[in-house]
Amino acid sequence: MTALLQRPPAPARARPAPPGRARRRRHGWLGAVATPVVVFLFSSLLTFSLGALSPSNPAAAVLGETATPADIARMNHEFGLDRPFLVQYADWLGGALTGDLGRSYFTTIPVADSIFAALPVDLALAGLAILLAVLLGGAAGIAAALRRGSRLDRAVTVVASALGTLPPFAIGIGLVVVFSVLLKLLPAGGYIGPQHGLLPWLRFAILPALALSLDIAASIARQLRTSLVAQLGENYVTGAVVRGLGARRVLFGHALRNAVGPALTVLGVAVPTVLGGAVVTEKIFNLPGLAQLALQASAQHDVPLIQGTLLVAVTVVLLCNTLVNLALSRVTPQGRRP
Amino acid sequence: MRRLALAGLLLVAVLAVAGGLLAPHDPLHQDPDLALHAPTWAHPFGTDYLGRDVLSRLVAGTGATVVAAIESVGVGLLLGVAPGLASLWLGRGVEWVLLRAVDALMTLPFIVFAVAVTGILGNGLTQAMLAIGVLFAPLFFRVTRAAGLALTRAQYVEAAELFGASRARVLRTHVWGKVLPTVAVTAAQATGGALLAVSSLTFLGIGVQPPAPTWGGVLASDLGFLAQQPWAPIIPAALIALTVAALNTLADDRGALRAAR
Amino acid sequence: MLRVDDLRVTVGGDLEAVREVSLTLGPGEALGLVGESGSGKTLTCRAVLGVLPPGAAVAGGRVTLGEVELTSLDRKGWDRVRGGRIGAVFQDPASYLNPSLTVGRQLAEQLRLKRGLPRKATRAAAVDLLAAMGIRRPEAVHDQYPHELSGGMLQRALIAIAVAGEPELLVADEATTALDPAVQAEVLELLGDLRARRGLALLLVSHDLAVVAEVCDRVAVFYAGQIVEQGPTASVIANPRHPYTAALLRVASLGDWRRRELEVIPGRPPSVGASGPGCAFAERCAHAAEGCAAPVPLSIVDDRVVRCHRAGELALAGA
Repeated sequence: MTALLQRPPAPARARPAPPGRARRRRHGWLGAVATPVVVFLFSSLLTFSLGALSPSNPAAAVLGETATPADIARMNHEFGLDRPFLVQYADWLGGALTGDLGRSYFTTIPVADSIFAALPVDLALAGLAILLAVLLGGAAGIAAALRRGSRLDRAVTVVASALGTLPPFAIGIGLVVVFSVLLKLLPAGGYIGPQHGLLPWLRFAILPALALSLDIAASIARQLRTSLVAQLGENYVTGAVVRGLGARRVLFGHALRNAVGPALTVLGVAVPTVLGGAVVTEKIFNLPGLAQLALQASAQHDVPLIQGTLLVAVTVVLLCNTLVNLALSRVTPQGRRP
Repeated sequence: MRRLALAGLLLVAVLAVAGGLLAPHDPLHQDPDLALHAPTWAHPFGTDYLGRDVLSRLVAGTGATVVAAIESVGVGLLLGVAPGLASLWLGRGVEWVLLRAVDALMTLPFIVFAVAVTGILGNGLTQAMLAIGVLFAPLFFRVTRAAGLALTRAQYVEAAELFGASRARVLRTHVWGKVLPTVAVTAAQATGGALLAVSSLTFLGIGVQPPAPTWGGVLASDLGFLAQQPWAPIIPAALIALTVAALNTLADDRGALRAAR
Repeated sequence: MLRVDDLRVTVGGDLEAVREVSLTLGPGEALGLVGESGSGKTLTCRAVLGVLPPGAAVAGGRVTLGEVELTSLDRKGWDRVRGGRIGAVFQDPASYLNPSLTVGRQLAEQLRLKRGLPRKATRAAAVDLLAAMGIRRPEAVHDQYPHELSGGMLQRALIAIAVAGEPELLVADEATTALDPAVQAEVLELLGDLRARRGLALLLVSHDLAVVAEVCDRVAVFYAGQIVEQGPTASVIANPRHPYTAALLRVASLGDWRRRELEVIPGRPPSVGASGPGCAFAERCAHAAEGCAAPVPLSIVDDRVVRCHRAGELALAGA
């Protein structure tokens, strides 16, 4: 029988050994960490130069109209404002990296203290918002992808695109109207920290967190639906089915693993949106967060406090982006990323 | 769908230009007896907590809101498109610096940055829109760069350069024709985003002094009186949402047109 | 062991893409399904695996494996049969592996789920299995991603995953088609080897009679959704009874492939559902006669089951 198939001589199949994966992965890590550092330097420079653009002399503003030029000069010297720009920047950045963001012009309270009093509110809120966004958006996206063309799928699409056109605060106001004013289930504003108990905290945090998350949940749902539908049509999914892996395992262990990439990217892009949205949300729900601090600083032209809040916001965004990039590099093997 | 969107935007444009002239009442006139009144024939959208006519305030506020949104998109175009092209043709060093600058700008949250800028440069709509415009620049930068990148590899551009056409001429004749449609679509989308940003800022009381009406401001004034008038935010919110939806529809449509060509 | 009775598969609701297909496959046997693309051989094997493409459905007949009726299984039931009792490999192995998991992880998943191996034991077992598939650097391949491997290696890895659950039946759908000839021969040798050593029954689908001839005892020739001839491979090749089989033999890479003239079967097969009640091949058949327009019953000629009116009278050339 074997004589039927005449074999041509085997060609030499020398394949170069693939380069060591460990080395390339380390390079990936390096890129994921080095780029944010450079970007941080750029953003912090931008943040600091903003202060230098200030048309008003802070000393004059603080001391009022009765100040003599000598008083102003003394105060400028006290705040270090009479030094060259780059020296001031280096000093400020050095201080910032060691947790010293200067003192408020008005209250002379260290900026770092004010920020670290307000930051836990935002971190708790943003954490809850992102968790909600992942849960809601993930569930909606997966459900829509699994039942493509169904009524549920269409409902997800319509709701998701409607949420994208609503002003961010409209969602918050809507939630207040429904849950606080009409149903009287939850408080319309105020805040107590999670250290006073999880349930009391949730009572105050759930509405603002939901207000922050719905927009992102919508993007995640849309993105996940699209990529999951594409993945479910791939041969490797049929392959996994044919191997007798259960439906749940095929979905969560195989298809979803390849589909979450774009949704993760959405999450990375969403972090600045969450922080921006937090300003409005904190106003609606009257929360003592970073955004209220920024608003107050802005109203008082309190330059160190403004710079401090902006720098902290940028740092949070960068940290989150770096985390998302690291997560992406774990999900997708090196050679397949564009 | 496209006609509906165009008609809606046209209406918004007319309101923006004519503004106060079309308002049935003086948007600043307070009538304490009529405070927080439900809709009537005289006041179809009701009145706010100071007895001011909501319809008039929305109509009169259109101008400031729309102009602010367009301003910020203009700033974004100015700061984004030229550097986007520059990053392709001015060498690696320029490219690297611009890319990092764009990365840095993208880490700035819109509202937080606008709040900071108005805190330092003064609380005006121009300052706030300058800030939003600066943050739109990365969007236009990326879109322009992506469209241009495809062109740098296109053979006819190469051929034009071989024939000795000056770089400026190549940019003018070939690149604009290809890059412009993409930028226009992005601008439509960005205008929607800018409207949302303006509304958020005016809602926060940034950029506008209190009595002057804006869309976001009308929403903010409802906030303290949700218990009495829970339906009140629906009208300004719907106005904003529909305008943004119209812009998105138009952007999608232009995108489809471009794809067909 | 595997038994297909009067299987019908429809596409798009009412077009019959597979009609009246009946097969049997005993333990350790190897059966080849051959035919042009669109002849129904792949749909038949997909029906056996329970993974018909969207729009296709089993419209009649039964598929049984041992005592289990596959055609009436729910998803849970299928999950017990697939991987454990039936394994499968396909054309384009790269696309059938998850691109973002290493070969080792996908193999380990199979060993854990289908053989109940503890997590700690999977690596050694997986490496052994890869080595048994003739992979020269099993340790390295274990830790590589699919995109880092060549087609031949991937097909070996896919076979390793398919047999990890120690199935009794392996379905190979055009498993060697995209490989270059030398690698194709090696993979076929591996399949024959597995059959000999593990008592694995093979259901091999190919458009190439030469591939089937290499490993299969019996062959079923598909044309337009039907089996037109079925019998022992050697005698079908030496002495075809159906004109289509004879035509297929002329184009197959049998005999001395270097001296073979390039030949094609004239005409095209009818599109799905377009064939009438009579012989579907009559239009392209060199031996067609008036009676060929009437419905063709299966007839048994010698050691063969043939679907041809003139099966008894024609003398056709073999290879």
